[in-house]
Amino acid sequence: MEAYYGYIIYGITLASMGGIYAVLTLGLNIQWGFTGLFNAGVAGFLAVGAYTQALLTTPVAARHIGGIELPIPLAMLIAMLLSAVVAYFVARICVRLRSDYLAIATIGIAEILRLGFKNELWATNGPRGVSQIPKAFEGIGESWDLPEILGAQKTWDQLGFLAMVLIIVFVIYILLERARTSPWGRVMTAIRENEEAASAVGKNVESFRVESFVIGAAIMGLGGALLAQYLKQIDPQVSDPLTATFLVWVMLIAGGSANNKGAILGAFLLWFVWSGTQILSGLLPNEIVVFGFEIGNLQVRSAYVRIFLIGLILQFILQRRPEGLLPEKRPGAQRKAT
Amino acid sequence: MKRLLSAVALSALMTAPALAADVKVGSVAGITGPIAELVAPIMDGRALAATHINEQGGLLGGDNLVMVPADSQCDPKAGVDAGNKVVNVDQVVAIVGASCSGATNGMVQSVTIPAGIPSVSDSATAPSISDLDDKGLVFRTAPSDAYQGAALAQYAFDQGMRKLAMTYANDDYNAGIATVFAKVFAELGGEITANQVHEPNKASYRAEVSTMANGDPEGLALFAYYGGSGITIIKNSLETGSFEKFVGADGMFDQSVIDQIGADTLRGNIWLTQSASDPDSDSYKAFAESYAATGNDPQAPYAAHGYDATFMVALAIEKAGSTDSGAIAAALMEINDPAGETIGVGQWAEAKAAIAAGKAINYAGATGSVDFDANGDVPGFYGVNTVGEDGSWQTELLK
Repeated sequence: MEAYYGYIIYGITLASMGGIYAVLTLGLNIQWGFTGLFNAGVAGFLAVGAYTQALLTTPVAARHIGGIELPIPLAMLIAMLLSAVVAYFVARICVRLRSDYLAIATIGIAEILRLGFKNELWATNGPRGVSQIPKAFEGIGESWDLPEILGAQKTWDQLGFLAMVLIIVFVIYILLERARTSPWGRVMTAIRENEEAASAVGKNVESFRVESFVIGAAIMGLGGALLAQYLKQIDPQVSDPLTATFLVWVMLIAGGSANNKGAILGAFLLWFVWSGTQILSGLLPNEIVVFGFEIGNLQVRSAYVRIFLIGLILQFILQRRPEGLLPEKRPGAQRKAT
Repeated sequence: MKRLLSAVALSALMTAPALAADVKVGSVAGITGPIAELVAPIMDGRALAATHINEQGGLLGGDNLVMVPADSQCDPKAGVDAGNKVVNVDQVVAIVGASCSGATNGMVQSVTIPAGIPSVSDSATAPSISDLDDKGLVFRTAPSDAYQGAALAQYAFDQGMRKLAMTYANDDYNAGIATVFAKVFAELGGEITANQVHEPNKASYRAEVSTMANGDPEGLALFAYYGGSGITIIKNSLETGSFEKFVGADGMFDQSVIDQIGADTLRGNIWLTQSASDPDSDSYKAFAESYAATGNDPQAPYAAHGYDATFMVALAIEKAGSTDSGAIAAALMEINDPAGETIGVGQWAEAKAAIAAGKAINYAGATGSVDFDANGDVPGFYGVNTVGEDGSWQTELLK
């Protein structure tokens, strides 16, 4: 029982983090999958959301601003809004740029935001970060006196957070599916495939691109707000481009760009691989002898092997399924039944 | 060929499963990531403690202490992930780690405190860790930065320095020490003529050091990791003639600093504080001897802290007489009883006998007395390193 309990908790945390990445990936899917906006600055919007959540909900601390202890859901809303506002100004300036130029501009903006959070010590405590961030459903098991589940009341805390993340992923999925199959979604596809043609039929391409960018960024901000709660501690490392931008990109491309189900699948799958490989590498013995060569200290070296494994799996998926695991399915033209 | 490889893999897997009498302790550290080069010797320090324990009778009724490594990459995301893995999948009874303050902060708040698992970090130095509502579960053998910055400022002032320029690498560790250094140095009556943060890993810092030389400072207070930006900044300072004298902290402490810049240039011109042990103490001598035998430099930053953290977790398990995490956490506060029998580095058999006889014990670690206060912190001791005649670092303990 005890052993299974650990595995279940591990599964819950794995799924929580996978869900948070799914939110980020869905946000990117609107921008890249639907509209073809090459946003390489996911980390920047994630950081805006995460820091907003952190600074608004933490208790008073001498090390950073904030300390107004807003209710968690309200802070999440503000995180989304603020991320959208930042994205709006970025979009007004940058969104007319062609894909590769937009990528460069957004990388730059994400770095500006990250370095801002890192250097404005008075506001964010700089590289030391913000600690003691409240997490939704923390302590509900005890305070609501729920029955023990899997042998402990505190399991409810983890389950509550997981349920919240999964519901958010589901709601975003429903909304995005609705958007994708609506006329708005078709305009986005038209812009992605051929801007001139879209503007020739009278669509205001620029304002549609701004809309897509802002909505995507708001969802990324929400992802950041969830991440801040989950980790309970954020510092500028959280918006490290490797795990905050490029991993999200790989999730979207591997899962299937422009396919919302694919985006969610890619996020969960890659997070399972990313985190699960540490179990595999943990199974290695500390020393093995291969063809007479003694290879020692494997338990430490395997941390590097793990990063290699991740690259290998990604290569495999990208080579074998270049369109992603679930390729895009275009909605059929809707005909009125007569 | 294929079959041979899979046979190797299979036999590798078959030797792996834990024996029934294993006690698992998580060993979380930034094995990959920005401080990888500092972590390798720390991991060796932890491994040395485990070796001592297992060679001298093991834990409790002869159980084997098994250190389960996990990689916290110096990033809160990875720290939480690594913590979740060792706590839930490997079901460790306690954790040694994590490495960086951010990763440690994330791991303890989101994983180990809710799960009730005690953790002893050997290299997380952020003052914010002392403030956590940790239910008595978070300990560290590395002293908080607040102490080292103050010790260096006092030392520099005592050496007669009054005007210093300061630069620090923009990471949690160096920024933390620099902030305290600047504050204490000013309070003592010194002047910081320039205070500039720099991003590590740039090819050149000529422009920065030239600017900082304005205002006629006597030297440069440099807080950086030697591999990240420290060596480059010293080189650039000497090339441009901006600075000749340097003070710094233990991120700069490595033989490669002397090797790359030259012992003659640096002799009498550089002072580095380092979280140190009293080199005359029996415990440190015992540690230095057996650690050097593994092919490592005993003065590697935080290697001795890694040894102490691991040894103390083991002592607490023995003292608690069980592998219950709550009992281990409580016992961590009981292994430094001033009235108890003194246990030094490597004296596991003696510790086991004393505990079995029901006597109180007082662990005197490689890094000092390592008495935990109410926050689970230790006071810490510092040494100052200068370049000796033979071109290696000479340490003098600050008292």
